[in-house]
Amino acid sequence: MEPTQVYSVSDFQAVCNQILDNAFTGVVIEGEVASFKINQGKFVFFDLKDDQSSIGCFMMKFALRFPLEDGMKVRVRATPKLTNWGKFSLTVQAIMPVGEGSLKKSFELLKKKLTDEGLFAPEKKRPLPENITKIGVISSTQAAGYADFCKILNERWGGLEVQAAHCQVQGMVAADQIIKALAYFNERSEVQVIAVIRGGGSADDLVVFNDEALVRAIAASKIPVITGIGHEIDESLCDLAADVVASTPSNAAQMLTRDRREIIDSIHGDIKRINNLFNTKVDDVIAANRDEMLRLGKDIVVRITTIDNEVKAQCKILEQLNPEKVLERGYALMKGEVGVGNVVEITTHKQDIKAKITEVKER
Amino acid sequence: MAKNVSDKISELKTGVDWFYSDDFKLEEAGEKYKDLTKLAKEIEKDLEEMKNEINVIAEDFSK
Repeated sequence: MEPTQVYSVSDFQAVCNQILDNAFTGVVIEGEVASFKINQGKFVFFDLKDDQSSIGCFMMKFALRFPLEDGMKVRVRATPKLTNWGKFSLTVQAIMPVGEGSLKKSFELLKKKLTDEGLFAPEKKRPLPENITKIGVISSTQAAGYADFCKILNERWGGLEVQAAHCQVQGMVAADQIIKALAYFNERSEVQVIAVIRGGGSADDLVVFNDEALVRAIAASKIPVITGIGHEIDESLCDLAADVVASTPSNAAQMLTRDRREIIDSIHGDIKRINNLFNTKVDDVIAANRDEMLRLGKDIVVRITTIDNEVKAQCKILEQLNPEKVLERGYALMKGEVGVGNVVEITTHKQDIKAKITEVKER
Repeated sequence: MAKNVSDKISELKTGVDWFYSDDFKLEEAGEKYKDLTKLAKEIEKDLEEMKNEINVIAEDFSK
């Protein structure tokens, strides 16, 4: 059968690429990295293989957001291509490690690199602002983590203005969406803090938070960033780059808000304490006055006793001077002119006597 | 301008501190205590009624 169309080699290669483009837009392939190398500091080449097959891959270094090494298991989003030399290859747009071993290796390599750059330095950390009223949230608004965050936020405090940027929080496109949301808040909003939150998931689900470009974007944010990613045991490089790390989305909500219940309890405590203090001060004044009154009372008793004693002493003296007392002791009182033959009146304790003087003799 | 709840909490704190300060006067304390109790009730009401405004930004970050 006679062919209907004759192609030049270049045209045929172009047609093949067009067919591949249409058939596999953004195909995702998983395999193991082999023969990894970077040419001229910007072109990345490696083979993606499994037990039976191997495909050559090409990508630009700037698109490489996770450290790669031979033997790592990765997932790539790529476009298949027939090169000018007739070689079939994948042009990789995005790549991320998968599987526990590769994730751990990639995490450690990037952690070391960014630590050496000082990206995680403690002195770069900013505290959360005081009296937060405007919060930017980056999360999937359909995710349970976001619902937990909002629930705790609403339970604890009110009057907040929260702007939520809906992004994918897992998968190959997630990092770029989160980076765009960070840029949005930094350039076009007045939020005081940005919360990047995502609920728990597998290590593969959370790998986006070890994306180098995303980690750098968090470190570079002009607005302080708090992360609440995964569960308490999960640690991501985004956590290390953030200003404040919460263990979960709920914990992030707790760290961003005061607890209205605690404040109400504290106010009740304050009122009770000042009531007690007031009563104590009143009692103190009463006690102080009572003591003063007692002291004055005692003084008065002492003074009265003293006067009483003085009066009694005077009375005793007067008593001693009373003529009747003298008479009681056997003395007699004589009235009249002394002279022989004169009559005088003599008073004794019990008798009044008239007597005539018969003799007067000088002693 | 109406005081917000943070202003009221600050005012309450200042009032409570007065009771522990050297400025304390027994003859003024009764009135102040009444005022602070009223303020505390206001704060409690405000805190219980405060609601957050949560909006999802219209921007499409997938593009």
